[in-house]
Parts: sequence; structure tokens; C-alpha cells
Amino acid sequence: MRNILRKELTLSASPATYFFLIFGLMFFLPGYPVLCSVFFVTLGIFKSFQNAREANDFVFSALLPVAKRDVVKGKYLFTCLMEMTGFAVMTVATLLRMTVLKDVAVYRENALMNANLSALGAGLFLFGLFNLIFLSGFFRTAYSFGSFIGYIAAAFLAIIVFEAVHYVPGLGAVNAFGLEHLGLQLCLFLAGVLNYLVFTLVSYRHACRCFERIDL
Amino acid sequence: MNIVEVKNLTKEYPAFRLSEVSFSLKEGSITGFVGRNGAGKTTTIKAMLNLVHRDAGDIRYFGLPLAGHEKEIRQRIGYSTGSVSWYPRKRLQDIASVTGSFFPNWDDNAYRAYMKEFSLDEQKTPRELSEGMKVKFNLVLALSHRAEVLILDEPTSGLDPFSREELLEIFTMLRDGGTAVFFSTHIVSDLEKCADDILYISRGKIRAAKTKQDFCDAYSHAGESLEDTILRMEKEAVRA
Repeated sequence: MRNILRKELTLSASPATYFFLIFGLMFFLPGYPVLCSVFFVTLGIFKSFQNAREANDFVFSALLPVAKRDVVKGKYLFTCLMEMTGFAVMTVATLLRMTVLKDVAVYRENALMNANLSALGAGLFLFGLFNLIFLSGFFRTAYSFGSFIGYIAAAFLAIIVFEAVHYVPGLGAVNAFGLEHLGLQLCLFLAGVLNYLVFTLVSYRHACRCFERIDL
Repeated sequence: MNIVEVKNLTKEYPAFRLSEVSFSLKEGSITGFVGRNGAGKTTTIKAMLNLVHRDAGDIRYFGLPLAGHEKEIRQRIGYSTGSVSWYPRKRLQDIASVTGSFFPNWDDNAYRAYMKEFSLDEQKTPRELSEGMKVKFNLVLALSHRAEVLILDEPTSGLDPFSREELLEIFTMLRDGGTAVFFSTHIVSDLEKCADDILYISRGKIRAAKTKQDFCDAYSHAGESLEDTILRMEKEAVRA
């Protein structure tokens, strides 16, 4: 599996994917919908799929002495690695905002979603959505990017909901500062983790089945 | 000895049918797979590589069925096409390094020797190479993992006569080293120059599978060249 991941990182990946990881730092931006940074990271990953298609990567990979499902596995490993790298950047930014920066005025006066553990959970939900909608949709043909449009629509709808949910009466605690409402924050974070795992696994199985069936 | 056997290969598309294609390839031989554009050459080759799913038929390499033995068979075969280049913006060195990591048989010394022999600069990218050089690089990748069978889809199309001649000489050299070379073409003179066996396909059906001499004996009229014979056969097949 190491060689297929190396192929992804060396040959298939677009430099834009690595560059877009920096957008994880948008979790530092006050008065900005921080979850958009998740979208930018996934946009970077999408660029690698475009790059791979133009470079005939899927046929090249299918001709290597690996099972066809390993080609799919390589793409998922690469995607998850990029997502987790972007997520690590977001986590660092969030932990700083929850601790040393928790009383900074620009963050306190933030009208949108605060960067906290529930925001990280929401970020994982969005990454899972990318895997569920875009990845599994892409492997139905291994050339059509139509499912990315579906992902954009779903992602921005979800971002609007997450950014505004703390205005719903009784849900204000979702927008906690620092270590306030830590139990709730942890629960929402773990729900995001669970969502990510389930969405990715369901998507992977579906993608393997589809890729096995298509003619290249 | 037959190292590739294709039996009754069938693939149906809405507007085209590949019908019960059968043939075999011997080690240390060059087989030219000839037919006009759209005759079914690429579909046959893609089915041989399991890139398209066959509706029926059996494909065996080295006595092993392709289904269920893909990984080990791919270790021993090589593929190249004249029309596609992999990773046009990556250095040949990087493509070779990654490719080599998938093949336990990869021979770095052989890789360097073939790169030198074919005058390929590994710092270049595929988009900087001519069509002929791209095919040569694909051959280097296949030969560096000691492929025993080379399956080449129209390797000479788009090449100037000098590059074609050079490539056909390489095929002969590989054949003499024991490799089975299977290449598709619609340029009949390629067959005249180097093929031992001829496989002629028309409208999705194999019309002839013989050694070059037997093919000429069986189908050529007096004074007809191989090209004239195949053109006449194609016209007859269209009229039929």
C-alpha cells in the first residue's frame, strides 16, 4: 500500500492540493465562516483528481500489478491524508483560540460560528460529505466531475446551518468559548468523528464496487 | 510455446460487437495485429489487459487465466500505446522510480541501460518527448521489469518513417531476446518489415491468424504485395 500512496503523492497529486492545506489557517479568521476552510481543502483535493484524470492516472494505475480496488484505496488514502493534514492545521488554530486567544475581543465579538471543538466536529462532517458525495460519485465513471457540484451544494447548505445553529433558542452553548460546555463540545466533536468514519467507509465500499464494474 | 491464449473473446457495445476473437502468441515472436480504424484492435487489447470487461471468452497468460491471477500476470507483461502519455508534466525519472516500486523484478541496471540505448533523458517530462520517444519510454518501463510479453497498441501511428523503422528494429531485437511482441497497427508495411505472425481483424472478427508466409500463401494473388492483399480482403469483407 505504501507504493500506491507514494504514487499518489508523487505523480497524481496537484501542487494546488498541498497549497490549499494552508487554508486550514482560516480557523484563525475572526468574523469569517471558518468552515469555508474545509471547503477550500476539499477544493484542493478535487484539483488532484482533475490532474489525475488529465494525466491518464487511472488507466496507468489499473495497469500496475495491483488489484483494481487498490487503485481506489490509493485515492482514498491520499484524500484522507490530505483531509487529516488540513484538519490538523485547523485543530492547532482552534486549540489556540480556545486557550491563549479565548478572550481576544475580535473573537468574542464574532457573529458567526466560534472555532471550538464542535466546529472541528462540523469540519469532519464536511470532509465526510466530500468523501460520500464527490468520491463515491466520481468512481461511478472515473472521469465525470458532476458529483463535485452536488458536493458544493450540500457543503454550503451544511456550512450555513452550522454557522447559524447557535442562534436557535436553546442551542447557544454550541458556540461556546474556551473550555465552556466541554461535555457538549466533546460530544459534538465525537459525532463529527463518527460521521466522518461512516461516510468515508460507505463511500469507499461503493467506489470499489463501481470502479470494478466500469470499462477504462 | 504459447504464452498468451485468447479464446472466443466477445464484447458487445450498442454500435459494435467484437465477435469470438481467438488467437495465441508464442514466446520470441512478433505478432502484428492489423485492421482498419474501428475494426476492434484497441477493444481486443483492452480486454486482454482487463481494462474493459469481456462479455464472454477466456484469456490466459503463461497458462494462467487472467481472472484471478491479474497481479502476477501484470508482473510479467508490459503495455504501451502510441496515443496516450502518462503524467505529461512529471520527470521520467520520477515516473520510473514510482513504477519500479510495484515490480519486485525491477532491474535498475537494465533501466539505465535501456534509457541510454534509446537516448532518453530522465530529467525530461513526457510532454517534452516526441511520439516515438514516448513509446520508447513505455518500452523501457516494461523491459525494466523484464516483461515477457509486450502488448503495444498502435505504437507506430503518428511516427515519421525513420522513427518507425527504428522502433521496428527494436521489436526485432526484443524478439531475438525471447520477448513476445504483440502490436496493433493499420500500417501494413510495419508487418512486412518485422512481423512473424499476422492477425487480421475486420468488423470485430478475426479474418486470418497465420504466420506471415502462410498468410501470403493462403490469401495473396500472384504479384500482390501484403498491403494489396489486406486491402482487397478488407474490401471483400465490407461487401460481404
